[in-house]
Amino acid sequence: MLAPTLPSLVDQFRRLLGADGVLSAHGELMVYECDGFTIEKSSPDVAVFPRNTGDVQAIVKLANEHGVPFLPRGAGTSLAGGCLPVGGGVMIVLTRMKQILEINLRDRYAVVQPGVVNVWLTQALKGTGYHYAPDPSSQGACTIGGNVATNSGGPHTLKYGVTVNHVLGIEAVMADGSLVEFGGPAEDNPGLDLTGVMVGGEGTLAIVTKVWVRLTRDPQGVRTMLGIFESCDDATTAISEIISAGIIPAALEMMDQGILEAVEQAFHFGFPLDAQAILLIEVDGLEAGLDFQRDQIVAICRNRGAREVRQAKDAKERLLLWKSRKQAFGAVGRLSPSYCTQDGVVPRTRLPHILRRITEIGAKHGIRTVNVFHAGDGNIHPILLFDERDEEQVRRVLVASGEILDECIACGGSVTGEHGIGVEKIGFMHKLFTVDDLDVMVRLRQAFNPHGNLSPGKMLPTAGACGLEQTRPGRRAAL
Amino acid sequence: MAAERPGKRYHAERGNEERGNEEGGNEERTADMLPLTDTVTPADQAELAATVCEAFATDTPLYPLGGRTALDFGVVPKRPGLGVSLAGLTRVVDYPYHDMTITVESGITMAELSAVLAREGQRLPIDAGQAEQATLGGLLATNFSGPRRYGHGTVRDYVIGISAVDGRGVAFKGGGRVVKNVAGYDFCKLLTGSLGTLAIISQVTLKVKPLPGATAWLTCELPNFSRAESLLAAMVDSKTTPVAIELVSGAHWQGTDRTPMLIVDRRTLGVLLVGFEGTESEVDWQIEQLRSEWRAQGASVFGHHVDDAARQLGSRLTQFGSSPAPLVLKINVRPSAVISIMELLLNIDPNASLASHAGNGVVIAAFSEFSLADASKTLIQRLQPAAVAAGGNVVVWSCACGELTRQAVWGAGRGDAEMMRAVKRQFDPKGLLNPDRFVYGTL
Repeated sequence: MLAPTLPSLVDQFRRLLGADGVLSAHGELMVYECDGFTIEKSSPDVAVFPRNTGDVQAIVKLANEHGVPFLPRGAGTSLAGGCLPVGGGVMIVLTRMKQILEINLRDRYAVVQPGVVNVWLTQALKGTGYHYAPDPSSQGACTIGGNVATNSGGPHTLKYGVTVNHVLGIEAVMADGSLVEFGGPAEDNPGLDLTGVMVGGEGTLAIVTKVWVRLTRDPQGVRTMLGIFESCDDATTAISEIISAGIIPAALEMMDQGILEAVEQAFHFGFPLDAQAILLIEVDGLEAGLDFQRDQIVAICRNRGAREVRQAKDAKERLLLWKSRKQAFGAVGRLSPSYCTQDGVVPRTRLPHILRRITEIGAKHGIRTVNVFHAGDGNIHPILLFDERDEEQVRRVLVASGEILDECIACGGSVTGEHGIGVEKIGFMHKLFTVDDLDVMVRLRQAFNPHGNLSPGKMLPTAGACGLEQTRPGRRAAL
Repeated sequence: MAAERPGKRYHAERGNEERGNEEGGNEERTADMLPLTDTVTPADQAELAATVCEAFATDTPLYPLGGRTALDFGVVPKRPGLGVSLAGLTRVVDYPYHDMTITVESGITMAELSAVLAREGQRLPIDAGQAEQATLGGLLATNFSGPRRYGHGTVRDYVIGISAVDGRGVAFKGGGRVVKNVAGYDFCKLLTGSLGTLAIISQVTLKVKPLPGATAWLTCELPNFSRAESLLAAMVDSKTTPVAIELVSGAHWQGTDRTPMLIVDRRTLGVLLVGFEGTESEVDWQIEQLRSEWRAQGASVFGHHVDDAARQLGSRLTQFGSSPAPLVLKINVRPSAVISIMELLLNIDPNASLASHAGNGVVIAAFSEFSLADASKTLIQRLQPAAVAAGGNVVVWSCACGELTRQAVWGAGRGDAEMMRAVKRQFDPKGLLNPDRFVYGTL
């Protein structure tokens, strides 16, 4: 399809970006054939590395001249195939656009290029009394451009919100190569909130080349606790009671026995291996209010039969308590060669139910499941353990994943809290949304991306391509 | 140039406590502001969709009506059309209070919504002017906000699910009932602030917060603007975490017999007001802390308002701009530009009254005297360039001195205008929803 025109396009890219700004050999492109969603692979025809906004515009215009589709990519940490180049095309890798352009404390914003790694911004702000609040667990690798594309969350969203609550403006290259500025350093610009629409647009509306982000005041103090419970029900009930008491924790993370055991074997935190659930709870804010909140939380946990409630006495102990949560995914390797994690959401009060159902569904398909997740906002991350070398196991994992997500929908939740639809969950869109809902989404995309040449095959099922059961690994064609 | 309309446009009714339930006055005022041939009140969401469907089939313009508190916001529309009142869509659809979310129909008043939430010790921490009349849908459509946007954000940050009917009569939804959800495009953000021009909002799911235990304001009178700027700049490093940072100036804020004395010293140029919410100990600590921070900067005349007085103060700040005035503007700039914008405004009209959400860079100006020609010229030649240079823009909230052009009302044009038109064309291909009122221009 692209063969005749591709060499000429690649040449033009080389002239624009230099030889080290273009990858076109098959071997070089293998790294880019998937992201964190490794089940699906598709190689781009060429990967290019723009240095600045002008480069991005030129790339898009060249791709359009040659009739080749294109898509943006940050660090490639997407867990839903957000960076999968469906149908090949030009992969525009934004990692070289990695400068923090401005930090303005008086006006509480920063301006960054899309390739800035999330944690770099908070590191650059150390000592100023401010930080960048959205901190997904992958923040050491993921980019702010990618955060914008997926409306990333993380453990602090219950109190601090998600990425869209912290983005003031976006400069973007549109599907036709034009450059538009949406929003900016001031709030409340007149007209439509297109900035808000583009956050979470999964790269299907425009390519982000600059972001204005809001900075958040560092809390004066913090109290970190870790409760060890005899059952998941006790832990999830404690969560509900903490929130009903009017406390909005800065973080509320839960781990079940399965993951706890792996973490303990790997890192020896001194957790009892028979404990059924662990809750990591953090409150932050004014010192004048923290002891009272901590005392309430400890009392609630004890009332719910917590065997023990550890409290961090200082920053070092706090980091240690958090380490047990942050290392959780790293410890999974002890449990099985491969794993697949989901990103469902249920109303918080349905957490006990969904955890039971996850266990049942796992048992039904002979797949072991463990759980570590953001309990405060009902965003579950069940981990399904398997060996990807065994096709039969892979098939069962996909079926089990689907049933878990179906159950989330049945509980009134969502199939994605923060990872995005990508390609992985296109088949679920018709379960969450009606034909009319999807039609209006297509119309919105039409306004931004009328020819569908930007990020084709993402997020939205095309007409007719819905309801196909996924019976084997690999995505159903949404072409 | 449009002919000057008589002063009827801002009856004393607007913002008037005596208005009460005078339906006759209500309709008269509506008829005065919008070119309505008739008004319908759909009884439920299905009827709403049917109404819009029929309008689409007959090319009939539609004017959604909520509490009718902002009918003169925007360019004056000319095309006769049907008023669509949301007064029939007021149900609480679902309120799982343990989940801290609520789903309601868009015609519910802000006062009723507050009452429902307060029964469970919860609230939507968004200031609403004229809460007895203003509807949630209208608040969303105008993206209205008050002082507490500094600490709590605006309503856009609380909408997690939305149902609406687009300009073709197609009912659609976005988001859901849970606080974390990235499935699909974010219609919640798209429709908030769209002034009913993309779709008529029928139902909304909100995330809510607990009611605070205590609320208080600390105020400081300012002899000049440079003192104001230095105190504002110092708030960036304050150890306190206010929910509001307001700066007011002008005749409106002088004490009267009926309202609390805000300005004590006759030499005062303006007042800085900082609002706190939280537990009693958190609020008390912050009041003392800010007092000592201000004292360290040489400020001295303080006021301290708690409980009812605090609520009244918040209410006064929220209502500012909805009282009758020849011209009311809203300017949005970088927070560090608030002082220079206020100086410019007072330079243009020394009798103007001003209020600002200074921590957010939003300044509201009520001018005392303006002719139409002067208003237009001042906006386009002086205020818009100044606002743009400071990173923002300026819109007209209301103009009693006549009909302003789109260019005067909606601010300096920006590069995203064409994208807004492209979106509008998709949602409302015949241009029937609130025609001419919003930013779009020729579609």
